Amino acid sequence: MSKEKQVKVALVSCGSEYAGVQGELDKVTASVNAKLIFPEIDIASLDTIGRDFGIEAASPDLRLMMARAQAVVEGISDVDGVFITSCFRCAEAAIVRNEVRRYINKHSNIPVISYSFTERTTAATLMTRMEALTTIARRKHLLAREHQTGLTAGIDSGSTTTKAVIMKDDKIIGQGWVPTIKVIDSATEAFNHALEEAGVKAEEIQAIGTTGYGRFLIGEHFKAQLVQEEITVNSKGAVYLANKQKGSATVIDIGGMDNKAISVEDGIPGMFTMGGICAGASGRFLDMTAKRLGVEITELGSLAVKGMQEKVDMNSYCIVFGIQSLVNSLAKGSRPEDVAAAACHSVVEQIFEQQLQEVDVKEPLILVGGSSLIEGVPKALSTLLKIDVLVPKNSHLIGAVGSALLASGFVEE
Amino acid sequence: MNNEEDIITKIVVISSDSVLPIDAAMKVYESENAITIKETCFGTMVTGPRAAVDRVVAELRNMDRNHIFVKERGFHPGDERRCRAVRGGGPRPGFHYLREEVQMLPMIGKALDAYDQHVPPAEIHRTDKIDVKKLKDIIESNL
Amino acid sequence: MAKVIIYPINSLILSDLVERFGHKPLAMMEKIKDKVNTVGVDSPPLNITAEEPKKGLKYAAVEVPAGVRGRMSIVGPMIDEAEAAVIVNEASMAFGCMGCARTNELTKYLIRQKEIPILEVEYPRSEEEGKEFVYKIAEFLKSLPMESRS
Repeated sequence: MSKEKQVKVALVSCGSEYAGVQGELDKVTASVNAKLIFPEIDIASLDTIGRDFGIEAASPDLRLMMARAQAVVEGISDVDGVFITSCFRCAEAAIVRNEVRRYINKHSNIPVISYSFTERTTAATLMTRMEALTTIARRKHLLAREHQTGLTAGIDSGSTTTKAVIMKDDKIIGQGWVPTIKVIDSATEAFNHALEEAGVKAEEIQAIGTTGYGRFLIGEHFKAQLVQEEITVNSKGAVYLANKQKGSATVIDIGGMDNKAISVEDGIPGMFTMGGICAGASGRFLDMTAKRLGVEITELGSLAVKGMQEKVDMNSYCIVFGIQSLVNSLAKGSRPEDVAAAACHSVVEQIFEQQLQEVDVKEPLILVGGSSLIEGVPKALSTLLKIDVLVPKNSHLIGAVGSALLASGFVEE
Repeated sequence: MNNEEDIITKIVVISSDSVLPIDAAMKVYESENAITIKETCFGTMVTGPRAAVDRVVAELRNMDRNHIFVKERGFHPGDERRCRAVRGGGPRPGFHYLREEVQMLPMIGKALDAYDQHVPPAEIHRTDKIDVKKLKDIIESNL
Repeated sequence: MAKVIIYPINSLILSDLVERFGHKPLAMMEKIKDKVNTVGVDSPPLNITAEEPKKGLKYAAVEVPAGVRGRMSIVGPMIDEAEAAVIVNEASMAFGCMGCARTNELTKYLIRQKEIPILEVEYPRSEEEGKEFVYKIAEFLKSLPMESRS
C-alpha cells in the first residue's frame, strides 16, 4: 500500500481534540497511508455560516464544522475523502453531523464517513471505516469493474462464518460455507470445498481476493492479490449480484457481529455506517433465537413468515435483554412462529434505528449477508420501510463474490 | 522539552496609533537576549524564560499602555502540533477567536483612556423585547 | 493579588485586563501549555488522552459527552482554584477551548455556584457600552484584595 499515493482526508470534527481520540484518528489514518487535513476556510464565512448553512448551532466548533464542509464542497480545500465526527451522546452535534454529511454527499462526489466517538474509541475500531474511505478515494478504477473475468477466488473470513467462491467469467462455479473457528483452518476448508465443487486446482487460480475480519491473516496465507475491507467489497458484490450496477442503490448487510448500511452510486459507496450498539441487532441474535426455539437457523425464516411479530413484545437493543424477552414470551405461552417473527422484526428495527438514520435510503434496497436468507428478515424490513427489499441469489456469498470480482482486476495486470 | 526552566510564550497585540509592531520588535531586541520573538498577523509572540518575558512585556506595554494587549499562549510558536503547514491548511481554532477579539481592541483602548481620565460611562439604556400585547396592537393597527 | 477566572476562558481582552489591574488571570492557555509540554505523553495536538474525560467525571456525569468531560478536566480545576470571576455574557463566537456550548454552560454554572466575588457584564455592542464594560471590570478588579490569600 505504501507505493500508492497518500490520500487526503478532511477532518470535519467537533470535540475530538478534547475527548482524547485525536491521537487515535491520526494513528488510523497513518496506517492506511492517509493524512488528516484541517480544511482551510474563508474566515469571514464564520460570521455568517449559521445562516448560510442554515443551522445556527450554539457551539462555535459546530459552526466551524459547517464552514469546513463548505470549504470542501467549494473546493477551497482539496481533499479525497471526508471524515465527519463528533462526541457520542451530543444531540446538537448529531444534528449538525447528519446535515453536514448530507450536504457534502449532495454537492460533491467525495466519499464521506460519519462517526460519533467516546473516549474509548480506538484506532482499531475505526480501521475498517478509514480503510474503506481511502479505498474509495484511491481505487476508483478498480471499483468501476463490472465483470468478473478469468478464474478467480474470493474468500470472506467473517466473524461467524467463512465463505469462499471460485468464479469464472461472471459465473460462480464453486462455493464453500463453513463456521469460522480457526481463521486460517476455516478459510482453507471453505476454499477447498469451493475448489472441489469447481473442479479446479488451487494453482490454476489466477487471482485471489480476501475480505472480512480475518482478511489480513488469510490474505497473507493465500498470497492474495487483493485484501480489502468488507464495505467496498460488499457494496460492489451486492450491486453485481442484484444486477444494479448503474445508478443509486442501498445495501444492507446483516453480519454475524455487526451490520453495514451503505449508500451506493454506480457501484461505489458514498456514505456508509457499520457497527451498531449491540449484537442484538445482528445475525447473532437470530442464531440464538433459533437455538432457543430448537430449530435450525435455516428453518427460522420460514417459521417467522408464518408468525405475527405484533403478538410478542421484543426489543433486542441489548442482546441480553432480547434473550430475556424471548424466554419470557415462550414462558407465557407464545407460539414459536410469533417469537421467530418478533426476533426478525427486532433485528430489523435496530438496524432502522441505529443505522438507516445515517444513510439516505434510495431504492433498490439490496439485503445481503447470511441473515438475508432468513425469510422473516427481508419481510420485516420491507414492512418497516414500506419498500421492496431485493435479496439477490447467493446473497450470503456477497463478500466472497465481491472479492473474486475485484480480484479479477489483477488478472489482466 | 523546556519543563525545568519555565519557558513561556506571550502574545502581544498592538492596537496603537503611535507604536508599530516593528518598534515593539526593536525594543525587544534591544533589551533582552534570552528572548525570541515572532511576528504574526495579529501580534508579536514573545518566547523565553518567564521572568524575562514578563520584563519585556511590561516594557512593551509602557510604550502605549492602553493600546497594547497581552495574553499568554499555550503552544510555543511553530509548535508542529498547531502549525498550519503540518495540519494541512486551516489554522488552529484559537486563531479565529483571537481575530474576533483583535477587532474589538480599538474600542477597549479608547475605553481604557476614558477610564484613566475618570470619565464616567454614560448611562446606557438597553431595550427589552417588545411586549406581546404591544406587538399584537401594532399588528392590528397595521392590518 | 487574586486568582481571577475569566469567561470566555481564553479571552485576550479579559486576560489582559485582569493582569493590567494587578491580578492573576486563570486562563486556559496556561493549562494547555502545561499539557502540551508534558514529557512522555504523546497524544497530539493537546496531549489529551482517554484519561482526561475520565478525570472530567468529577465535574460531569458519565452520560455527558467525552468532549465535554475532556474540557472539564482542564477547566474544572481552574474553577476550583478561582478566588474571583469575570463573566462576559453573550460573547462573540469563540472556538477551540470555548468551542462547545454545553461545556460553556456548565463552566458558567460551576463558577456561579462558588462563593466568590463574581462580576457579570454584557458583551459590548457600541463604543459607549465598551466604556461601561471596561469601567465595570476595572472597578471590580480594583475592589479585589491585592495581597495573595494563599
